[in-house]
Amino acid sequence: MAKNRRLGCITPPHLLAKLLESSDEEVRRAAMSTLLDTSRLRGERAVRASVMRTAAPAQGRRTIFDCQNGTILAAAVLARSEDGDASADPSVNQAFDGFGTTRQFYLDVLNRNSIDDQGMRLQGYVHRGVRYNNAFWDGLEMVFGDGDGIVFTDFTRSLDVIAHELTHGVTDFTSGFGYHNQSGALNESLSDAMGSIVKQWSLGQTAEDADWLIGAEVFTPEIGADALRSMKAPGGAYDNELLGKDPQPAHMDQFVVLPDTDEGDNGGVHINSGIPNKAFYLTAIGIGGYAWEAPGHIWYESLRASSATTVFQEFADTTYAKAAELYGAHSAEQQAVQAAWRDVGITLSQVPAADQSTCEPSAPTDGSSMEALTRQIAVLSTQIETLTSDIQALAGRAGG
Amino acid sequence: MKVSLAVHGGLAAAIHLRRPPLVVDTAALSGNETRELAELVAAAKDSPPGAEERRQGAARDAMSYTITVEDGGTSAILHQSDTRMSPEFTSLLGWLQQHSPDAAN
Repeated sequence: MAKNRRLGCITPPHLLAKLLESSDEEVRRAAMSTLLDTSRLRGERAVRASVMRTAAPAQGRRTIFDCQNGTILAAAVLARSEDGDASADPSVNQAFDGFGTTRQFYLDVLNRNSIDDQGMRLQGYVHRGVRYNNAFWDGLEMVFGDGDGIVFTDFTRSLDVIAHELTHGVTDFTSGFGYHNQSGALNESLSDAMGSIVKQWSLGQTAEDADWLIGAEVFTPEIGADALRSMKAPGGAYDNELLGKDPQPAHMDQFVVLPDTDEGDNGGVHINSGIPNKAFYLTAIGIGGYAWEAPGHIWYESLRASSATTVFQEFADTTYAKAAELYGAHSAEQQAVQAAWRDVGITLSQVPAADQSTCEPSAPTDGSSMEALTRQIAVLSTQIETLTSDIQALAGRAGG
Repeated sequence: MKVSLAVHGGLAAAIHLRRPPLVVDTAALSGNETRELAELVAAAKDSPPGAEERRQGAARDAMSYTITVEDGGTSAILHQSDTRMSPEFTSLLGWLQQHSPDAAN
């Protein structure tokens, strides 16, 4: 079979999508090329959707498109693909590299294969619109603006922004946090937390050394702002005449009640995320070392265990439970989680009153240590029993 | 005629939340600019939002825009978003942003 062949454009998209499932790699490749070309030529967004869905087991292969300052994504042109050469356009390469770092972080650190954990393709669109001051996740792919050059600059420059947006995709495939009120603020906060630790991981920084800023690179130097948000100091990312003062709270006492409308930021999802952001930062500092290790795993497992309507209290309780599952009851990690939520004004539901005042992680007493060990052994015994049953069932089926 | 533009949401939602709408008053425009704006407003009013571009999951950090047109004692409100915007609304939005002294919008 000749290489680089194209399947004729007369082939209907649904048939091309079917061909993507072919066992013949050349057929799959030709179908993919044709789909992408057809999509570009005809501007059929539906075709790209079928590519994204059908070609999911792609190990997170990356494709960057150039909007050429237009706003219709279907009209964007292919700028760089996974196997293609680097572009002469820095925005294309920055988006491509940011996707790669984020993909590698999720695989290496959290054992997650791309956004959907099934190798979903990563597609990005750069140079969206004219002077467009934003980057967003459209539910399927990521879109970057160039900024106006006065307040904002090219949004592809910020790795934590890229990881933030891709994490919105991860959230869609896990908890499905809504985008309203507290669950929406958790949605934003998880994106900030993962965005920050992707950057820390890429730089090899400890929690103590990290800046904990989100979008430090997207402001022009003249604007006098540190970043869009600070996880270490919510409310302290900027304070000047043009932008006003960063309104993020760091404590439940300062929770901002806003209407659940576009005008009210859907109940303040970008405002009240400061509270769980600070809790994650405090947990990371409390545990010490690399934030993508215990703190990252606790938050990620809690994300996976949450639902669309989870609120701050439930999420805090889940992180406490996950810390126990992963590192043991009364472990330093679990106590750091408890102290962090307490310091932002959230009292955990499952913690005995006597333990609520504990400020610093401390070594458990002999009694509690035995109690924790006994609980862990009980959990392990249950898991072994389940596994044994599964193996017996499988052996029975194989024998039959 | 006065046309105001309010921007909502986006990565910088916290900043947009506190900023006043951008306002363009035709009293301060040339005759050509006034005609141009009136044509863009008329076209945007007649154009519903485009079909939703996304099909899976939901948009996050996308921005939305409210354009309020006050003219001769009547007012009209147009509201569209980054993921669902007609070409006519896009043109009006771009014109307003270009003719604004406030570049942050």
